[in-house]
Amino acid sequence: MGEVIVITSGKGGVGKTTTTANLGTGLAVQGKKVVLIDTDIGLRNLDVVMGLENRIVYDLVDVIEGTCRLKQALIKDKRYEGLHLLPAPQTRDKNAVTPEQMLKLCDELKEEFDYILIDCPAGIEQGFKNAIAGADKAFVITTPEVSAVRDADRIIGLLEAHEIRKPRLIVNRVRADMVKRGDMMSIEDIIDILAIDLIGVVPDDENIIISTNRGEPAVIDGKSMAGQAYRNITNRLMGQDVPIMDLNVSEGLLSKMKKLLGFKTA
Amino acid sequence: MEQETKVVFKGNSEGLVIVIPEEYEFEQARKEIDNKVSNAARFFMGAKIKVTYRGMNLTPVQEEALKDIMDEKSGAVIESFSKDEEPKPNQFAARVVQPKPVPGRRLLFAGVDEGNCKFVRSTVRSGMRIEYDGNVVVIGDVNPGGEIVATGNVVVLGTLRGMVHAGADGNREAFIYALSLRPTQIRIAEVIARMPEDEPESGTLRPELATVKDNSIVVEQR
Ligand SMILES: Nc1ncnc2c1ncn2[C@@H]1O[C@H](COP(=O)(O)OP(=O)(O)OP(=O)(O)O)[C@@H](O)[C@H]1O
Ligand SMILES: [Mg+2]
Repeated sequence: MGEVIVITSGKGGVGKTTTTANLGTGLAVQGKKVVLIDTDIGLRNLDVVMGLENRIVYDLVDVIEGTCRLKQALIKDKRYEGLHLLPAPQTRDKNAVTPEQMLKLCDELKEEFDYILIDCPAGIEQGFKNAIAGADKAFVITTPEVSAVRDADRIIGLLEAHEIRKPRLIVNRVRADMVKRGDMMSIEDIIDILAIDLIGVVPDDENIIISTNRGEPAVIDGKSMAGQAYRNITNRLMGQDVPIMDLNVSEGLLSKMKKLLGFKTA
Repeated sequence: MEQETKVVFKGNSEGLVIVIPEEYEFEQARKEIDNKVSNAARFFMGAKIKVTYRGMNLTPVQEEALKDIMDEKSGAVIESFSKDEEPKPNQFAARVVQPKPVPGRRLLFAGVDEGNCKFVRSTVRSGMRIEYDGNVVVIGDVNPGGEIVATGNVVVLGTLRGMVHAGADGNREAFIYALSLRPTQIRIAEVIARMPEDEPESGTLRPELATVKDNSIVVEQR
């Protein structure tokens, strides 16, 4: 039985799609069966980031409306065995999908896949409600900016209200030099406010932009800092099934990050 | 057998509000008020208070009669006695308060010393608003964008970074207490304060108490 994880943020442009693509690819490289669902109806771009745009025939709404079978709409990524994409329609309205339909779809996918990652649209409206409807877990993405953290906080509250407990945090686009100078919120500051578990920190890295344009997620690039960060998060995510390993990975990851970012050991 | 009393006394920032049910016998109301002020005479002693009433419509003659009783039996100087304008729709439901004698205090708004209390056992996050007619205790933080509005005190056993309004129905006796007080804004009754902007968040908790003194909110370490 697979696990449905929604990747959400509240604020737009903080890295939900980037994270979905990288974690999905990372999990597939580790041999997992993965499907990525783009729920950003009308503003889809997970397909572009994955380099699969030109293979779209059917989409999420076609599946929900029964225009095609689920299998037909899933795009198999030929580069990574086990990786699939269910794209969002570009020309439909958000209201074409209901939370109940999403829940049913997720339950169906769980039968066959190990991980279902849902790329959530920005905001807290219908699209958000659809994206979280079938989720077992949530990853909340923020950047080290006051406004993004504020929105993440709102999202955590809404997730809790929808019984999605203990979301985990990814802080994206961290710049160690700026944190050191005191020009950027530190990870400690962010966790202090949000009070949820950290699953990873992704540095601001131009490789992300390069890889996004190429349609090849940075997680497979051994030289990319952000790629390494996403590999770590992938490992931690998989470690959840093995509690002891989870602990080890988390400690190692955290202490490494602390050194990297020049934390005071309080 | 003691008869059930329907007339309710409430304190507000101006003085006393008497709430009389709309469809009530004047004679019954008069008796209840007589009883209440007689019992609370020590409490009112020497105070100057403005009295307003809500609910029932009284004729000028009836108003005068009630004012006379108050004057005579309470030991307070009744500066005025008049009908209160209707409470605004977003105000809290009438707080039911029975005055009771407490030495050394002239007007008492029961509840800020002892009264209803709501416990919030989670972080109050951005976008959440907690309204309560009484005191509120948060076991956790109140984050920026989170709001607590209480007619009584607000105690935050965590870091207060959001907005808190204590004594929201005008009670200046209410206080705000937090293990770390870093709010965007705090209000007590109608007094508003915001924190200095450039004070850095310190790692160690420093419990602080905010109260109203001389028309402004003062914060002291506790
Ligand atoms: N770690 C990073 N370093 C550098 N650039 C990044 C990083 N993460 C994301 N970006 C860039 O930020 C932009 C927004 O990222 P992305 O599309 O993943 O955000 P999103 O949260 O999905 O946005 P939306 O709310 O519009 O769906 C992209 O141009 C992406 O390349
Ligand atoms: Mg996106």
